[in-house]
Amino acid sequence: MKSISLYVDKDTYLTRLHPFAKIFYIVAAISVPMIVGTLWMYGVLIGISLCLLISGGIIKKVFPLIAFSFTIIITIFLIHGLFNQNNVNVLFSLGPLEFYKEGLLYASKIGLNILNMLLTFAVFVLTTRPATLVDDLEQIGFSPRFGYMISSVFQIIPQMMGTMNTIMDAQRSRGMETEGSLFVRAKAFIPLISPVVSSSLINTRERAIALEVRGFDSKKQKTFLSDHKLKAGDKLFMLGMTVLLIGSLIWRILLWLS
Amino acid sequence: MKNIFKTKLDAACFVLIPACIGINYLGKLFASVLKLPLWLDSIGTCIGAILGGPIIGGICGAANNLIYGFTTGDSITLVYALTSLGIGVAVGIMARLGKMSNLPGAILTAVVAGLVAVVISTPLNIIFWGGTTGNIWGDAVFAWSQAAQLPVAFGSFLDEIIVDVPDKLITILIVYAIIKGLPKKLTSLYDINDEITSLD
Amino acid sequence: MAFIEVNNLKYRYPHTENLALDGISFQIEKGQFIGIAGQNKSGKSTLCQAFSGLIPTMFKGAYGGKIVIDGMEAAKTPVAELCQKVGLVFQNPFNQLSGAKDTVFEEIAFGLQNLGVPRDEIVKRVEENLRLLDIEEYRDRNPFDLSGGQTQRVAIASILAMNPQVIVLDEPTSQLDPQGSEEVFRVVEKLSEMGITIIMVEHKVEKLAAYCHKILLLHEGKQIAYDTPEQIFSRDDLGELGVEAPVFTRVCRALSVKEGGTYPVTLSQTEALKGQFPEGLPGRQAGNGSQGQQGEGADKHAGSSVFTIENLNFSYTPEVTVIDQLNLKLDYRPTAIIGQNGAGKTTLVKLLKGLLKPVSGSILFGDLDISGKTVAQLAGSIGYVFQNPDDQIFKNQVLEEVMVGPLNIGMSREEAKEHARNALTMVDLLQEEKENPYDLDLSERKLVAIASVVAMNPDVLILDEPTIAQDARGRAIIGKLVQELSSQGKLIVAILHDMDFVAEYFQRVIVMAHGRILADGPGAEVFYETEALKEARLEQPHVTALCQALGYKGAFLTIDDMRL
Repeated sequence: MKSISLYVDKDTYLTRLHPFAKIFYIVAAISVPMIVGTLWMYGVLIGISLCLLISGGIIKKVFPLIAFSFTIIITIFLIHGLFNQNNVNVLFSLGPLEFYKEGLLYASKIGLNILNMLLTFAVFVLTTRPATLVDDLEQIGFSPRFGYMISSVFQIIPQMMGTMNTIMDAQRSRGMETEGSLFVRAKAFIPLISPVVSSSLINTRERAIALEVRGFDSKKQKTFLSDHKLKAGDKLFMLGMTVLLIGSLIWRILLWLS
Repeated sequence: MKNIFKTKLDAACFVLIPACIGINYLGKLFASVLKLPLWLDSIGTCIGAILGGPIIGGICGAANNLIYGFTTGDSITLVYALTSLGIGVAVGIMARLGKMSNLPGAILTAVVAGLVAVVISTPLNIIFWGGTTGNIWGDAVFAWSQAAQLPVAFGSFLDEIIVDVPDKLITILIVYAIIKGLPKKLTSLYDINDEITSLD
Repeated sequence: MAFIEVNNLKYRYPHTENLALDGISFQIEKGQFIGIAGQNKSGKSTLCQAFSGLIPTMFKGAYGGKIVIDGMEAAKTPVAELCQKVGLVFQNPFNQLSGAKDTVFEEIAFGLQNLGVPRDEIVKRVEENLRLLDIEEYRDRNPFDLSGGQTQRVAIASILAMNPQVIVLDEPTSQLDPQGSEEVFRVVEKLSEMGITIIMVEHKVEKLAAYCHKILLLHEGKQIAYDTPEQIFSRDDLGELGVEAPVFTRVCRALSVKEGGTYPVTLSQTEALKGQFPEGLPGRQAGNGSQGQQGEGADKHAGSSVFTIENLNFSYTPEVTVIDQLNLKLDYRPTAIIGQNGAGKTTLVKLLKGLLKPVSGSILFGDLDISGKTVAQLAGSIGYVFQNPDDQIFKNQVLEEVMVGPLNIGMSREEAKEHARNALTMVDLLQEEKENPYDLDLSERKLVAIASVVAMNPDVLILDEPTIAQDARGRAIIGKLVQELSSQGKLIVAILHDMDFVAEYFQRVIVMAHGRILADGPGAEVFYETEALKEARLEQPHVTALCQALGYKGAFLTIDDMRL
């Protein structure tokens, strides 16, 4: 079954690192440059994320994600480079288009922030099995019902994608066109989505029965099949991230005071 | 009025939410397979909101973006979890007020949902991407507004209106068409006011 | 006081007018095996859900009377508590999975985790049930990647792990292929031997007759009888109640073979009365039997080939061949394709419909190579009814739904309406034309889906497992439709798992396994090719098996063949 999760099943120090430690990394890596506010700090953290991804052997998986965000980054550079309202100094011009220094600086900051967020999340997403994350969340007191909800999405979506092809085949078999003018294509939308909704509701009814008869509404404390205790390494990593975060805050405050 | 936020949190609702997230996903997929110039990626959230109320709707919306953000690494989606939550809550409230039972009400719901989306998304757009939305038409307007020396917030607001309102309008009309055809048998599981009556 | 007591049970679903259960009263002793029989919508599933407390706790509605199970009143006990006493297994294997677990092991553990059973105990019970249901080898597989029969066994294991004293099985095999059904029935037998009380709803009445101590007969929510299988199936009013007796009973009734006022209900009981059977029977001859009646239209076209398939190969992935060098000509005889799931049957008919394109080889429809045509272009001439009607229904009214196809292929509204009405008449649903399709039962929605394709008036009608979820009446309707369309000169190709149905209504039978054809010909020949049936893991129709056991020479497929 094809999964929607990007998790790469490899045994590396990153996959072994506790999910919570990685969440600490996300928080630190995204807030530190925002707090410090200088361009080079974004560069440093992007560098760190890249090093982690390379050492985890998953750098190749990141390229499609970066490619995806490129259009938005380019738009930002165009719009702000050309039209930002603080634009004063022309940096360079391409034919009739004049790019300004102020706008491009602003765009670099936003662009680097997007890139930084993307890579930071990639470190987490590519190395964390969703089921492990859910289990860990439940163990620190997160409601098992919400845990169920999250896990269930991972199972339900590949299933529904299978249904999608069947529905398209079934409607085409009855002579429905899915290609042609915008009107023809728009007309096909309801016959495709409507069976998805009805059959989901029918299945939901049965699945709710299945859960009820297996004690889903039980008030008892749920048992876990395994414990994921934070190990010394995880704790050290989390401590490091906290220090980084506090350090950047202090730096910022000192900057204000001076 | 108390009933507006009344919510059942039984197995049926916790199964409904993933199904709605799946419907969101398929709506988006069908729209792209049919090459429609819309996202149509919040049909499930709206259905969840109509059946389960504003709280379930809000959970559907937020969970949708959070789960995708955390699994597909799409941090852009993640940012808009707040917007989805707002849409779910807004549609849920409108449905509980009885607005989704006729066409004018559905259009009103669509306008409300669209405005909620715009109001929440605009600041996010400005904070994270300097005001753009990533949609060509919307961004062209934003570029024009900046060239015309209009405030960033206003430009971004226009950009977002162009992008979100038509999409939400059509989404809600589709949802209205689907919901109207659903028999009671499928939706009665989510009826908050049903009680067991005795035949003895 | 009996182990389970049902007392004047009444129930009405919310937003409906009629009682779904109306005054049911019976008792079950510990360790008994009880069957529930009745036509669709007679209240069987509702009763099952009442045993596990889902009715009324989850579905609300109006409830009266009571069910007491070992001192616990079902309606007043929380479902999470009652589920440790009564387990429920139902039709659709995949919807019974929690849908949140990656492995079979975790799936079975799910219920125990919810109940807070200590971890060591969970592991012990899961291991035990993996062994008991013979699914140890799948323990680390994703439950969604298993076959229907395997998944159904995982579902049973998940329920058994909670140590219930009663198991309620609501048509546990109705959506499985013959092999999957056998796997499940073997497990059911084992559970009964272990002393677990079993309540089972099943359309395969031969199985009910073989296992049950007593059978509860329902009709429109009312209790008609609660008695031994012999008494129940010897009733004269079964036809009116929409229930069919086991083949053995019907054969004995036709030949007046009786013992002590009742007819036998199982193969062994029937064999024991061998002395009362006539010494020799002629069996099926040319022009004899039900197949003779449907031939007229088809005979005209016999010999002319509708589909010509040459050297056909198909695979979804390069490693696994699904259709292997297949050569086949289909003429106008109604044709059944039989075989286990994974044999390549659905793939073959999808290729005929143009939904899939051959990897190599050719398919000619008349003289037309279908590989160059789109599915929508072929829609008017080749009709295909998908297994699950819910994958296509999107209109609010049955009539509108059936008119979708005819309108798509360019009929006028008037013409489409006329065709739709005719098609609905054929499936006996014209009286429901104004209803919302989703207010109908699954078996009726399947008939709506069939009608929606028949209304397009195609030359070829392909049916993918049309008899699943149908009761005796539904099967008869589909059988009649096959005969009628065939006499109009249309080709019917159907994938089927019900051998008795194949024997009764189809002139040509094709046995498939591993993407190849193992046997092909009239039923009277194919069902006697024991080697091919064995390789395809199929069984003979009940009548055929019975006549072999009774030592009759000749071909026997239906009860009509056994008349003197």
